[in-house]
Amino acid sequence: MRLPTRRRPSAPPDRGTRGTRADPVSVVPPETVPVGDLGTLLDEDTATDKPWLVIVWNDPINLMSYVTYVLQKLFGYSKDKATSLMLDVHHKGRAVVSSGTRERAELDVYRLHEHGLWATMEQAS
Amino acid sequence: MSSPIRRRRDGSYAVRLDANARTVLADLAGQLPEAIDARDPMVRRLFPPAYTATEQAGQEREYRELVDTALANHHSRSLGVLVATAQSDTLSEAEFHAWLDAIGSLRLVLGTRLDVHEDMEAPAPDDPRAPEYGLFQFLGELQYLMVEVLAGDLPDEGRAEGPL
Repeated sequence: MRLPTRRRPSAPPDRGTRGTRADPVSVVPPETVPVGDLGTLLDEDTATDKPWLVIVWNDPINLMSYVTYVLQKLFGYSKDKATSLMLDVHHKGRAVVSSGTRERAELDVYRLHEHGLWATMEQAS
Repeated sequence: MSSPIRRRRDGSYAVRLDANARTVLADLAGQLPEAIDARDPMVRRLFPPAYTATEQAGQEREYRELVDTALANHHSRSLGVLVATAQSDTLSEAEFHAWLDAIGSLRLVLGTRLDVHEDMEAPAPDDPRAPEYGLFQFLGELQYLMVEVLAGDLPDEGRAEGPL
């Protein structure tokens, strides 16, 4: 299996074409960001920051049923919720699967990477 | 025909695969380096960037320093379990999850190299990529059956609302 790898042209996130992807604002209505939960837990420096969003990107390799299963397992979402997030990933190219502090988002990204999903984090705009 | 994968009442998993399939699994897992290295281009797909924006290069570097070794060890361990238990008819829950992880990693490595994309047609039989594509498909079918069993054990209703 030691052959040179090629970069998949469809590998998200493609920095060059990011602007053409789904607008994160349209994916997450602002009222759903759990701002109330953040303030009490964080020092004031972090609390004034916008929450971090964890994004799962579409990739042509992972099976749809596997992505749904991972979202159920890691985040405790219902089958319906996980399926609808997976379909967003599939059809829109990306979906916000969780949000929170930077530390929380890094942990979620790590757990998604452990499961082979293409996940990144970005601060809510 | 019933699925070759099922969960037993004692929590272990029964895996009914023929000898050829087991040899293929062990061979494939054995072809990846025993110690996965994040800098190895072959396994690059197992280490996606953590930050969407390239402007966060400093934070990305910090994150990589923090997790790459753990992530590499996680995948190496799973591949090692797959090699060690490829001949087993019965897998513990931990072994079963290691199989799922290892098979997922192998699919990502093979799929990246095959440049798999959605709506891709299978290569013609005389295409040099055909054998590897066949392995990729085999791994996908196995992963599908394993996920079916695992997902069947999860509750349909969630314990968290989700971000939307």
